[in-house]
Amino acid sequence: MLATTLPSPLAVVHPLIELTDVTRTFGSFTALHGVTLALPPGRIGILGPNGAGKSTLLKILMGLIPPTTGTGRVLNQQLGGDNDSEGNWRLRRLIGFMPEADALVPGLTGVEYVSLAGELYGMPRQVARRRAHEVLSYLGLEEARYRRVEQYSAGMKQRAKLAQALIHDPPVLLLDEPTSGLDPAGRDAMLKLIATLGTDHGKSILLSTHLLADVEAVCERVVIIAAGRVRGEGTVRELCARRQDRYRLRIQGAADRLRQALTSAGVALLSDDGQGEWRVAVPDGWNNLEFFRLALANGVVIRALLPDDETLEELFLRTVGTVET
Amino acid sequence: MPTEADNLLRYRPWNGEPRNPLFASVAMARVSLWLLARQKLLWGLFALALLVFFFFFYAQYLVVWITSQLANETVRFGGIPVTVGNLTRFLDRLSLNGTAHTFGNFIWFQGYMLVIVLALTGSVLIGNDFFHGSLPFYLSKPIGRWHYVLGKCLAIGVVVNVMITLPALVLWVQAGLLYEWQSYYLDNFDLLLGILGYGLVLTITLSLLVVATAVWVRRMVPLVMIWMGLFVFLRMLATLLVDGMRLDERWRLIDLWNVLYLTGLSCLRVDPETIRPAPQPEYWEAWVVVGAVCLACAAYLRNRIRAVEIVS
Repeated sequence: MLATTLPSPLAVVHPLIELTDVTRTFGSFTALHGVTLALPPGRIGILGPNGAGKSTLLKILMGLIPPTTGTGRVLNQQLGGDNDSEGNWRLRRLIGFMPEADALVPGLTGVEYVSLAGELYGMPRQVARRRAHEVLSYLGLEEARYRRVEQYSAGMKQRAKLAQALIHDPPVLLLDEPTSGLDPAGRDAMLKLIATLGTDHGKSILLSTHLLADVEAVCERVVIIAAGRVRGEGTVRELCARRQDRYRLRIQGAADRLRQALTSAGVALLSDDGQGEWRVAVPDGWNNLEFFRLALANGVVIRALLPDDETLEELFLRTVGTVET
Repeated sequence: MPTEADNLLRYRPWNGEPRNPLFASVAMARVSLWLLARQKLLWGLFALALLVFFFFFYAQYLVVWITSQLANETVRFGGIPVTVGNLTRFLDRLSLNGTAHTFGNFIWFQGYMLVIVLALTGSVLIGNDFFHGSLPFYLSKPIGRWHYVLGKCLAIGVVVNVMITLPALVLWVQAGLLYEWQSYYLDNFDLLLGILGYGLVLTITLSLLVVATAVWVRRMVPLVMIWMGLFVFLRMLATLLVDGMRLDERWRLIDLWNVLYLTGLSCLRVDPETIRPAPQPEYWEAWVVVGAVCLACAAYLRNRIRAVEIVS
């Protein structure tokens, strides 16, 4: 079992990420437009379609490229840039990065691969070797430690990549598509493992993905990025509840007449399950008493009126759809 | 109660002080050498390189022994009486007499094996990092791109020195033992420094060149072709231009191995007039070419090994 570790003092005192008006351009192309974020430590999902700017954001957070304009900090460590500076190295020591690409070193065994990662993080050789054994055992790879990494299955490769990110016990784990290429069982196991690292061992997790289910399974907060801009940020519950204009109605009676009346009043019927349950969107300035007034006028009984929170998927599709249109 | 084994395998927080990134380069070099040691083909090539060394080692011994013991003796060779001294005449070209040319010639011929070994080395150590996407593994760590390059160059440097400098030093020691060792070692101490200098030039130039070309082409077969082009085709072309068409001797500067040979001979303080084939460019011109190659490789690596490679 992994020993329970307290969050580092840094993680307790400082916000995880503070970005102020960060813009990044590549020639004439702007990958990030004035991103401003303040995120507390915790499990955070970075959601966005391909080309949204997630990777650019990750690069900036790791100090691999500098923002064109704007400033930022990760656990109070100033973001530097693409210079081989001590400041950037301090920043990267705070982060364990699990890349999406294979990023394995063919020819090395699992324990050699993870030990090498430890030494690259600045650990003495013996310590790195010992911790490699510990981390691989914790991640369930103890039987495969002496096999070459190129012979690993997809799930084992993902775990080996997670092990090399975890070896120096970083307060922040930056995971780029950690369930990529996994079968459903492997995916569930990986998500459970990541969630445990956050809940039981105090790691802050930045999960970059386009898979909404992964975010829902692991993250407390979500940052939605599309077209280089932050389109939404908050807890999953907050974001999905922010839609104040949608309701779920359960009715009994002459549905057609009420439908016509609602449409005339500017209410859009989003769905009708045929069992008397509707999802509707109301216009600005709508008063919910109107539902009951119109129902009474048309001889319909409203059995339930509930706010219709969006699922994360609906929120994501709506956000991305807004950008595309 | 947890057992001792449980404690050993337990994950613990780590609060140690991280070491200087230069240690990461050393770790990278050590692991790179370990990776090379697992290549069976490399051991085969090392064995061939060892044959070249043994040829020089025993030939040097043979020449000295024959010269001192049997030079005036006659043996029957195919029924024809031949003076023993004449039997080793074909070795004269190699100057197997413990002089600067001995070591220069050894390094020249060992270069053929070295080129192939370095092509394999480049593809295993650097090409694979690009081909298999391992670069993010390295560059997402708290090290700079030059630590990555240094780690790889250190490993390649070890290969170069094991194949070139170390055997040349053994030949120097052997030569001393074959002659009056006290006077040889004292009189030819500058040869020892020259060998080390030659090795250093080869280490720096070839390691940068290997890394740069491996970053460029990545796979072994194209890498071998590129290196053969650099060290064989350009040499043939230079020979054709200078010896065949009687163009300016500076055309030999396109032959990189010859250029490195010239810089090595300048380290060994060889009289330029004694270098064959003649004519040759000036030593300083060879040094300028070597410097330019190193700078070009460094500039290419600076542009190519960048953070934009990191997150796909």
